[in-house]
Amino acid sequence: MSMVYINIFLAFTLSFMGLLIYRSHLMSSLLCLEGMMLSLFIMMTVTILVNHFTLASMAPIVLLVFAACEAALGLSLLVMVSNTYGTDYVQNLNLLQC
Amino acid sequence: MMTYIVFILSVIFVVSFVGFSSKPSPVYGGLVLIVSGAVGCGIVLSFGGSFLGLMVFLIYLGGMLVVFGYTTAMATEQYPEVWVSNKAVLGAFIVGLLSELLTACYILKGDDIEVEVVLKFNGAGDWVIYDTGDSGFFSEEAMGIAALYSYGTWLVIVTGWSLLIGVLVIMEVTRGN
Repeated sequence: MSMVYINIFLAFTLSFMGLLIYRSHLMSSLLCLEGMMLSLFIMMTVTILVNHFTLASMAPIVLLVFAACEAALGLSLLVMVSNTYGTDYVQNLNLLQC
Repeated sequence: MMTYIVFILSVIFVVSFVGFSSKPSPVYGGLVLIVSGAVGCGIVLSFGGSFLGLMVFLIYLGGMLVVFGYTTAMATEQYPEVWVSNKAVLGAFIVGLLSELLTACYILKGDDIEVEVVLKFNGAGDWVIYDTGDSGFFSEEAMGIAALYSYGTWLVIVTGWSLLIGVLVIMEVTRGN
């Protein structure tokens, strides 16, 4: 395992922590999710290119397809929240009143 | 310096990840994500993956982040927060920068260091390129992606179908009641 992977793992861990720790906007959590997908793509691509793992080169493309699906779904949920409440603040998601 | 170009690019990658993980206003987070996507494309290009680097730029940055951009413009506030305008954001940014600086200094300190977190990271293999010696006249990575249509026909069907279902789901979600 080469040393470049340490930085990419660190990037994945940082955006994972960013996803789990909310601040005010729902949109910034979706951006952290996109960051996780980007770091996974880079890690997968670098592993495939270093080891000449030719037939697995289609796997990053499939990862990108499913990441696009999930980003679009997240954005549509954010649009619905924003239509209902005016902004996308996380403190608006409080229907459970206990 | 050119021998360390991949390491420098990965450090800039992590610094821009810290930039949007410390969560300023989403407008600035989107801008920094674009920078990190460009640097990630540079990392992929340094290892010889030209098609996959182009994929990052076209589909990831040009497709997904443009959608994020105008959705952010739709659901944003009047005075967006910068990194220095809020102590929580600035504190998170500095903590992330410090951890990356520590990691980078530890990696650059010696040539024969070994880090064991879950796997063993070893810097000795960085300058060796695994090669079978017979690469022919074509790019292996482009041929591997072209195999998506011959060996990976079922993958194409599944991903195409899931994209179609995703579009229908989003239409139902945004229809509301």
